[in-house]
Order: sequence, then C-alpha cells, then structure tokens
Amino acid sequence: MEFLRPADWTEALAAKAAHPSAVPIAGGTDVMVEINFGLRRPDALIDLNRIVELREWEVGADTVRLGAAVPYSRIIDELPTELPGLALAAHTVGSPQIRNRGGVGGNLGAASPAGDSHPPLLAAGAEVEVASVRGTRRIPVEEFYTGVKRNALAPDELIRCVHIKRADGPQQFSKVGTRNAMVIAVCAFGLALHPATRTVGTGLGSVAPTPVRAGAAERFLEQALDEAGLWDSGGVVPPAVAGKFADLVVAAANPIDDVRGTAGYRRHALAVLARRTLDWVWDEYRGKEWGRACA
Amino acid sequence: MTGTTFGAVPWGPPLGEPVPRLDGRAKVTGSARYAADHTPAGCAHAWPVPAPVAKGTVTAVHRAAAMAEPGALSVLAHDDAPRLGDADDRTLAVLQSPRIAHRGQVVALAVAETLPAARAMAAAVRIECAPVPPDLELTPEHPRLVTPEGAESAQGDFPAAFHGAQVRIDAVYSIPPLHNHPMEPHAATAQWLGGRLVVFDSSQGSNAVRDALAALFELEPDQVSVVSEHVGGGFGAKGTPRPHVVLAAMAAMAVNRPVKLALPRGLLPALTGYRASTLQRVRLGADTEGRVRAIAHEVDTYTSPLSPDWRERATQPTRSLYAAPHRLTRERVAPLDVPSPSWMRAPGECSGMFAVESAMDELAVACAMDPIELRARNEPDVDPHTGRPFSSRHLVECLRAGADRFGWADRDPAPAMRRQGRLLIGSGVAASTYPAEVIPSSARAHANPGGGFLVEINATDIGTGARTVLAQIAASTLGIGVDELEIDIGRTDLPRAPLAGGSCGTASWGWAVHKACGELSRRIDEHQGAVPAGGLTVTVDTTEDLATDDQYTRRSFGAQFAEVAVDVDTGEARVRRLLGVFAAGRILNPRTARSQLLGGMIMGLSMALTETSTLDLAFGDHPERDLASYHVASCADVREIDVHWLAEEDSRLNPMGSKGIGELGIVGTAAAVTNAIHHATGVRVRDLPAQPDALLEAMIAQGRI
Repeated sequence: MEFLRPADWTEALAAKAAHPSAVPIAGGTDVMVEINFGLRRPDALIDLNRIVELREWEVGADTVRLGAAVPYSRIIDELPTELPGLALAAHTVGSPQIRNRGGVGGNLGAASPAGDSHPPLLAAGAEVEVASVRGTRRIPVEEFYTGVKRNALAPDELIRCVHIKRADGPQQFSKVGTRNAMVIAVCAFGLALHPATRTVGTGLGSVAPTPVRAGAAERFLEQALDEAGLWDSGGVVPPAVAGKFADLVVAAANPIDDVRGTAGYRRHALAVLARRTLDWVWDEYRGKEWGRACA
Repeated sequence: MTGTTFGAVPWGPPLGEPVPRLDGRAKVTGSARYAADHTPAGCAHAWPVPAPVAKGTVTAVHRAAAMAEPGALSVLAHDDAPRLGDADDRTLAVLQSPRIAHRGQVVALAVAETLPAARAMAAAVRIECAPVPPDLELTPEHPRLVTPEGAESAQGDFPAAFHGAQVRIDAVYSIPPLHNHPMEPHAATAQWLGGRLVVFDSSQGSNAVRDALAALFELEPDQVSVVSEHVGGGFGAKGTPRPHVVLAAMAAMAVNRPVKLALPRGLLPALTGYRASTLQRVRLGADTEGRVRAIAHEVDTYTSPLSPDWRERATQPTRSLYAAPHRLTRERVAPLDVPSPSWMRAPGECSGMFAVESAMDELAVACAMDPIELRARNEPDVDPHTGRPFSSRHLVECLRAGADRFGWADRDPAPAMRRQGRLLIGSGVAASTYPAEVIPSSARAHANPGGGFLVEINATDIGTGARTVLAQIAASTLGIGVDELEIDIGRTDLPRAPLAGGSCGTASWGWAVHKACGELSRRIDEHQGAVPAGGLTVTVDTTEDLATDDQYTRRSFGAQFAEVAVDVDTGEARVRRLLGVFAAGRILNPRTARSQLLGGMIMGLSMALTETSTLDLAFGDHPERDLASYHVASCADVREIDVHWLAEEDSRLNPMGSKGIGELGIVGTAAAVTNAIHHATGVRVRDLPAQPDALLEAMIAQGRI
C-alpha cells in the first residue's frame, strides 16, 4: 500500500489525479476501521492531515464554509450558534476521541446512510465543494448521495469543504440507538426552521439507502404553518398537523430490517423523532421570537 | 514488629484502607508492560487464519501467494505444524488436525518479519475445505441434549407440590450469547532460549499456562516461564490457557525466533470463550402468603465438541438461594458445532440468577407482596441443598439496608402507573450471591538485613488491584506500612498460586501471604528482632490449612436496586439509578473494592439493556465481533450508581475474613433492571436484552401505551 503525504492542496489534487483509486484519509475514523476489518485494502492512501486549510472554517454573510476536516469537537465548541443542528449531531458522534479526529468530509466521503452529519446538512441546506486538477464544483448535498455508501465524487476529486446555510431559526437533531453514546443510529432525524423564508428543512438518517430529505413533509408543514398564520402568531402547531408531518416524513423513508432494528420499528421511531423535533424547534421559535419581530 | 500468629490478620491500617493502586502510576503513564509490549530482539509477528466454515475438513492450504509477500517467514498449518502433546484441553491442540470444529478456529498461522506483513500473508493464504452441514441451533427438543452427571438435583416431590400450590409461576427466560471482550485482547510473546520456553502472556493465571505449555511441548514445567505481570482485564476469558499462547510458542519454535501474536478483536468471540446462550424454565409454587413450597429450575444450553465437559451451570445458585421443601434443578447441554463457550464473569450464577430473580418478582406480583418481603419470607435457616449452615448470610440485611438507601418504602407496587411526560418510571430489586471459595496457594516472604521486606507470589493483577491488596495484607501482618515492602507478582518463577478467577484470588493468595509474613515475623522474633546478614526467607503453602472440611456453605450476598425510565414512544429503557448493597465479609480496600463492584453492576446493566450477540445459523459464529456492534454500556448510560456494603464479620473464611467480590456485582443486576422495567411498563422482559423495538412492541401489545 502506498502512503502519499501531500504538503498542500495542489499536491493533494495532483496525487488524487495520479492515483484515482487512492483513498483519502483525514481523521481515519471510518477508513481505518475498514482497513482494520479487512473490508478494503486500497492501493494507496492520501493523507490529508498536512493540509491546514481543510481544518479551517469561515463564517460568511449567509453561509459557513466548513473545511472538510474540521473535527466534530470544534464544530461543537466553535459553531453552535451558526450550525446548531450540525453541532447537536456532532455531539452524538462516537466518543470524545472520535470527535477529536473525525469531520464532516469523512462522513460525506463514506456516504453511509447512518452518518450523523447528513440529516443536519440536509435540513440546513448545504453544498459540497469538491475539487480536482480539472477545477472546482459545488454539489447540493441532496444530490451528493447517490447510493448505499456511494457519492457523486469523480475518481479524481476530493472534498474541499461544505458550504452550509447559517441558521436563521431553530434547528434540532435526534437519533435512536440502543445506548446513549458511541452508537450507530437505528434512525436519525434533523429539522431546521427558516423563518426568514418561511421554509423548513428535513434530513433522515439510517432509514433509506441514502440520507434523504422528506420534501413532501417540508412542503406540507410550510403550507400548514402559513395558512394558519403560525409564523406570525407563534401559535401552537395543531396535533393533526404534527401527525400529518410525521406521516409524510415516514413516507419518505425506505428502511430495512437489520441487526440494529426492524423496518417497522424504524418507521415508528422516525415518526416519534419528527413530532418531537417539531415540538422542540417550534417551542424555541415561539420562545426566542426568531425573526418574528421583523417579520 | 508484632509477633503475629497464624490467626487472623490484625484488622486495621493499612488493611481496610483505601490505598491507591501501587501500579496506578505505571499504568496511566504507559510504563506498565503488557504481554504484547515485550519485543525481544529479532521478534517476528504472527496473524491467524480462521476457519471459513463451521464444520468440515481442510483439504488444502495454498501458501504460495502468502509466501510471496515481502517479509514472509512461514505459514503453519495442520500439515506441517510441530506435533503437540496432550494438555487435556482440545482447544489448545492447535493445527494438529485437518478437522474443523467451528468457524473461526485457527486453521493456519502466518508468520512474518512485521505485523503488516503477517496480516497481508494471512489474507493471502487460501484454505480449501470440504464442508459438512453443521449442527448450530439449540432448541428444547434438540436430540443431543443430555444431562451430565451432577447436573441435576431433587428433593421432596416437586411435581406434586407444584401442582398443588395455590400460586404458580411457570416461565421461560432466555439469555443470548455474551462476550467477555476485555480491553486488552489476548496476546502472547514467546521465545525459545536453548531448551527453555519463555512466554509473556495475557492470562489470569500463568501457572496453568505453564503447565499446559509444558504438556503440549513435552517439557518439564521448570523449563517453561510464563510472565503475566500486567493484564488488561479478562472477565474469565483469560482464566485458562487460550490458543494464542500455544500458537505463539509453536511459531517461535518453527521460525526459530521470538514471535508475538496479538489476537485481533474480531477473533476473540471464536477463540477465547463466551457465555453460552441459555433457555431457562423456572417454576415456583407458593401459598398465597408467598411461602415457596416448590421450586424448579431447568436450563438448556450448549457447548462445542472441543469442550465436551463444559456447561453453563445456571442452576447452581438456585440450589442454595431460597427455602422450599420440594426442589428440582436440571441442566441439559447439547454439543453444537460452535465456538467453545467458557467462563464469563460469574459463569452459571449470573445466567441463573437472572431467571430466578425474575421469577421471584413475578411471584411477588402474583401474591401482591412486596418483593423484599417475599425474599425475606423464604430465607432458609441452612443451605437447602446441602443442609449445611451458612458461614454467614446477610441477604435480608442487604435487602433492607438497600431499601432504606434507595427510598423503597414509598414504592407503589402497581405497574405502569408513574408517568413523567413521555416516560414511564419504575423500580426493581434482585438478590446477588456468589460462592466464597479458597484454593491452596504458596507464597514467600523475605526480610532484608538492612530493613525492608519482599513478598513474592505468582498472583495475577488483571486490573482488580490484587497487587495492592496483597501488599496491604503483608504490611498489616508484619505491622509495617505498605511503602516498607515490595510485592512481586505475575511470574511463574515466583511461588505457585492459583488464578485470578472464581472470586477466590484475594482469599487464596492473601491467606498464603499472611501465613508467610506471620512465619517471617516469628523468625525475626527468634533473632531478637535483628535480621541476620543474608536476610531471612520463609516459603509457605496453604494446602494443609485448607484441608479440613468443616461443613459450611460459604457465599457472598447482596441486593441490587434499579430505577428505570422507559420512553413510551420509542421503547428506549434507561437506568436512572442503580444501587448495590453487599455482604462480602471484610472489605480489604474500599477504593478497589468499590471499583470492582461498580464494574460488575455496570456489566449487569449492560447485560440487561445492550449486550447481545447472535449465533448466525448461516455461518456458525457470531457476527457481533467488535465493540461497535457488540454494545457495552457507555458512560452516558450509567447515571447515578452507588455501592455500599455491610460490616460483615465471618471468622470461618480465611485470615482476612474476606469474601471475593469480582463476580458478586454482576449477579442479579440484570433482573433488578428488568424487574424495574416491569414496574415501569407492565411488560415482563424474559428475553435479554430489553431492546427498544421488542419493548415497544410488547407495550403496544399489552395496550399499555
């Protein structure tokens, strides 16, 4: 196995172009597990740890540009206001040691449906910036996942960063597992309210071949909140609306039976998470008067 | 200096003090060396090749690709491995036969210059085999289920008494396979020096490893040295010699170099033993006042063809636990083509007590009695199985003391009544018990002429604090401080001692240490307190001290209390509070004792809620082979947890007056948790673990939510 250690981003792209089958490694929290288990034995690894800018983030007017290798622990400590959904999800990733090593780029690269960062990225709205010696492109995150553990990267491309919309309203994340930490999600759900545009975003994890949004559920909820004037009044979301929202979230799922839970249980639990997170974000919206004063 | 006799160890500092671990600093700074930390000059590395089928014969071992790897030294297999003698344990007869007894059995061993090269070689070895259909599934109708001799007991007329009882409980409980998974995987570094074999092994008892290696390689025991100076946990999985140490020694012989072999975590379930699954039927017949008249406990379990005498002795605690004139216990075992089960923390007792203590809770509900009162009402005067008196038994005292601390008095027994938002809250109790055994041991104590003492014994510290507590016993006997002596353990070159297992280490080793130090004190007194030039050395053995059979049953007891919250929407059960109150004789070091008991309780919590493994009927082994898929409770799962003990005086145990505590803490915990789940939800959990999907389904089926 070849071990390539590019000194900077240009060298990294050149290395990837020269070795398209090489596997990039940053925190190693996924790649090393697969190598240790003998699940894969790549011809080459490209170590991205010398590339400082992958561990940098920058807050812009509307988006956060999050380097692919910014560790989860720094997202929790440094970006809880700008990226609350992702920070909540980051809290549930592995152990402190894993959170010190792992970052969103690895989750995207692995593209496991159970990756904890996918639901908040989907809910908040994000674009993945990928690059190669041929140039740079941005892929909307919902188009990034193309199949079970497959993504839209070309063989010569590397993930540079993720552009995530800054929170303009409450965001929540919740997952079900058999224990309280260090657990792969049985199912997970992320929800973001965008009061400025009066829209909502969703993200579903571990309930379909890829992480997915529940588009119909989003549109239904947007419409129901609008029609009842709830964005302005801050009134309670009627249980029937929450129930229908949850049903539509479940309709977007396509779960399987596996060792972590049955498909039936996943559907049930997903509905619970949808109702629960809706309660939480709406309570926060009403309490904090997010955007209502200027609406 | 006190002129100590062979009687009790003087009670007082440093014995009974919370002395910090003597090896704590070495462990946290990384200077403590474990088996795989030893790298003799020229050390090669080995990696096992597991059997790809559950049963069959290896027909060919293709080595060419592996031997083409850079750094390749050898591929050992049944067709060329050195022939071994008989060690009376077929799991140790590695690479001796083409027959495959279970999936994951080592069928070849790659040896290379480096660890990555050995792994690459192992991946490149191609095993051809002729598989035959394996027998993998245990059912109560399995035709090969047999009751071995001594595996059943009967008193009175159980069938008639049960039939005539006013209140009857008849329930079947199941426990899945459970894996020990000590933090340090099994590892050995082996080296042949002339005709001598020197091995660093991760073992709970290096004397047994030496004996096995001597038998296998046809050496005298004194030609073999085994070092287990520091061991990163075992929970029984390192209680007897395991295949890795034989493979390392065999490979070192074959390549004529030192060889290191650390088992990958994924092979531990196949090669180092586990708690076999049990199906347990418990029947209790009682009067309406909760007096148990009839008790039956029947267990079906399995073993492997390599361990024909093994069984999970899950009815053992039931024999001595509660009074009832009509009794029946039976264990049946079937040989299946599965990896060999073995000891896992409180083997037998832990499995059996889940079933019995669940059934007692069911009886309490059926009789509308408080579960503590029910247990108190069935407290026996003597051991109901043997008729012998207990050397001490304070189960009821533990239950009552725990009830006070836990706030049990206010408990409304009605199930599924306490709601906090979307959570159902409940509390449960269960008893703990474990035998308090002692095994002969030797020890040596030495006084230096210039002051200072050295105590030597081949005890093993697997993380319990054995090194520290033995120093405390020695210091108290000698009337000195812990810092005035040196303690040397963990090598077969030291006086022979039993393993760290069966909760009998401290009692057995401590007795020998006390005897050696007491004798040394006497010798010093004979020299008017002046140690002669050359020092004084005393070597003792406790075989004769232990020889008298004085007709007592010796067991430790305890009571565990759990409070759980069950989410009515998701079925997630979480333990909010866990309390254990134990009666285990004198507690010799409250700091390390608390840690061991807490560890046992957390392992029991884990057994109740998260730990589970599957015997895969397609492949014949366990798919949950790592700590990501085999869920041990994490720190976030353990909220308020507390340990207390009673001041129990028992002069019939050993010079310290102590009972072992390594296993007591895990016994009964799972039942306390699942009894609390019943109190919270009305759902009786009879199949472990209580996972969200099953619990939710049961709650919905019972119309509880």
